[in-house]
Amino acid sequence: MTDSPSRITLDEWDRRYEELSSSGLQEPDYGGCLRRHIGDGDTRLLRLRMDNSAASLRLWNFLLTEEDRLGKAREEGKTLVGTLKDLGTVPVMAYSMKNVVAFYPDGAWWIPCIMEHNAGLLEIADSLGIDDSFCPVRAMLGAFVSQAHFPIPDLLICSVGATCDDLSAIAQRLDAMGHAVHWWEIPHRRDPDPEEEAVRLPGTFRAPGSQVAFVQAELERVRRILEDHVGFALSEDDLAAGIQRANRVRTLLGRLREAVFTASPAPLPALETLIAEMLAIHFCSDQNECIAVLESLLAEVRQRVRAGVGPLADDATRVFWINPVADLRAMNMLEDAGGRVCGTEYLFSHALDLIPEEIAPMEALARSALADPMVGSPVDRAERICHDIERFGAEAVVVSSIPGASHCAMEGRIIGDVVRRRLALPVLEIEVPPIADSLEPTLRTRLEALVETVRSNRLR
Amino acid sequence: MICAGIDAGSRTIKVVLIDGEKLTVLGSGVVDQGIEQEALAERLLRDVLKTAGIGRDEVASIVATGYGRKLIHAADSQVTEITCQATGVSHCLPGTRTVIDIGGQDSKFLQLLPSGKVSDFAMNDRCAAGTGRFLEMVATQLGVHVSDLGEMAGRSRKPAQISSMCVVFAETEIVGLLAQGCTVEDIAAGIQASIAQRINAMGGLRTTPPFVFTGGVALVPTMDAALSSALGHPVTVAPDPQLTCALGAAIVAAKRIGVAKGADGA
Repeated sequence: MTDSPSRITLDEWDRRYEELSSSGLQEPDYGGCLRRHIGDGDTRLLRLRMDNSAASLRLWNFLLTEEDRLGKAREEGKTLVGTLKDLGTVPVMAYSMKNVVAFYPDGAWWIPCIMEHNAGLLEIADSLGIDDSFCPVRAMLGAFVSQAHFPIPDLLICSVGATCDDLSAIAQRLDAMGHAVHWWEIPHRRDPDPEEEAVRLPGTFRAPGSQVAFVQAELERVRRILEDHVGFALSEDDLAAGIQRANRVRTLLGRLREAVFTASPAPLPALETLIAEMLAIHFCSDQNECIAVLESLLAEVRQRVRAGVGPLADDATRVFWINPVADLRAMNMLEDAGGRVCGTEYLFSHALDLIPEEIAPMEALARSALADPMVGSPVDRAERICHDIERFGAEAVVVSSIPGASHCAMEGRIIGDVVRRRLALPVLEIEVPPIADSLEPTLRTRLEALVETVRSNRLR
Repeated sequence: MICAGIDAGSRTIKVVLIDGEKLTVLGSGVVDQGIEQEALAERLLRDVLKTAGIGRDEVASIVATGYGRKLIHAADSQVTEITCQATGVSHCLPGTRTVIDIGGQDSKFLQLLPSGKVSDFAMNDRCAAGTGRFLEMVATQLGVHVSDLGEMAGRSRKPAQISSMCVVFAETEIVGLLAQGCTVEDIAAGIQASIAQRINAMGGLRTTPPFVFTGGVALVPTMDAALSSALGHPVTVAPDPQLTCALGAAIVAAKRIGVAKGADGA
């Protein structure tokens, strides 16, 4: 365990890395000093404060070397599957097949932040007619054009229907540019009518049996596309084993979240917790290593909890954070203001719920896909969020949004109203663009005011 | 003990001096904001102290608030304008449940508990719509001073419908309204109504009376009436509405050193 957990700058990480190395740090082949990523263009690291543990070093290095892994997979002749607008279903299927690697091209929306616009991806999207009225996920178009961030995948599979308008438009533009997209449809999840069969989904939602059957049929079609491409069938046993491995990741994340969100002081900063959670979607292109990274992080967290130490103050204001931020610095800002994250809902809660193992694998995946918080009503999502807020004992809520993202223009307001009505907690709505430097004073003011509000009422 | 609050806002800097025990105001001042924020604040504090006949070394505690608060190194601590505004308003008008603050470049909606503490808040600081800057732009375009807008709006017989709340597009819209023969009085009233509607929308469901109106825009006559109309409730303009935040900062300063009763609110 790290002796004195703290959040440190990249300069401090240089010294820390020397300390760790001289004390016999064992690293995987993608390991090394974080500063080397600056040379790759990841200049945002210069403005972040990161956890000082060896486990977090491994997490950051794993995240920032995904491009290398994808390039290696291409060299080794593996099939690369780009899964668009799919937060945790088709990747499970793909990783159940030998020599298939799935990744998340939409994840390019983080590149303008982590590379501070230096890659020019948004400018390329502009030139293709996808301007800043669209979600920053348009950076993906730039990445396909520049081919500087990931190899062009052998297959592109995208869900459509009850998904984001922007992503659908951007994926259609991609298709029109010659990158053939295989579409599968996800319907808007609804509550079963009284006369319909009701199916309980992972998490708290329900759906009619007919919707589960429809999604299962769509996923069967995706399975055949994958099988046709690789030239062999995906057996039920292999798929069941793939689901078990995905559930191993989800179980680790569940334990990590439970430990981080319930302990005081917080054993891990919000930034590293966010990155860890994101691994649930696509395993950062290496499922086994993803498990190893999370095991290492969980071990560190558990040791810190046992020792009663952490990088944040004991009395930090407990904040539930909704939606991921485009600029990672926002997570630092909350902690600088005296807050800590004690619960999250980053739009992919279904990718953290265990996929049922007691039913047929394809039906299990269909149920998991339908549990996506984005394919149902924002009120349903808000109800689940309220449940988690109570469970983790949050004192305030931040609803973050990304400029141009169009999943649901009113969702922040709807969730805020439900939380206020049900739980009477202060709710702060903020908008965080890929680089929020110019907004830093106003963002800090809002976050500090939220912390002051909670503390003032603690004293009441 | 003397305590001071410095509100370094986006358009003006305000200073309020209080007697920390009695919580009575001993002096105050306002100066336009500029590039040298800290020097301006320091000079204003010095001037206010001089006018009040108080020495600098008699000031026991200073709290800075407002967007420029971090730049005021003379302050012992910094507290956000949300907390300070609520503290100032609750001191002047106990029992206030909602504070609408419209400043030069932002607007805020604060919901208070019966105790006067903040329970929730919303801010608009990304867009000039619904701020004093919007009124300034309109006044410039209509060729009048911003302080005259309220009186002009009061003479309106048929307020114009302003559909755009974007400063740039509203400017275009005003040109069109003038070309159609719309009077400046009706345009002024239309602008006030559109700002009030914007503020009402920001508050959403958090609209518990009694309402108190603060900030520089509260000094514009008839703006309170436009807000009352949009909210469907009477709106009271706070005494010295431009100074309530600095007053709140001074009270927080007094609480922080233990001379005033109550928690420090931050």
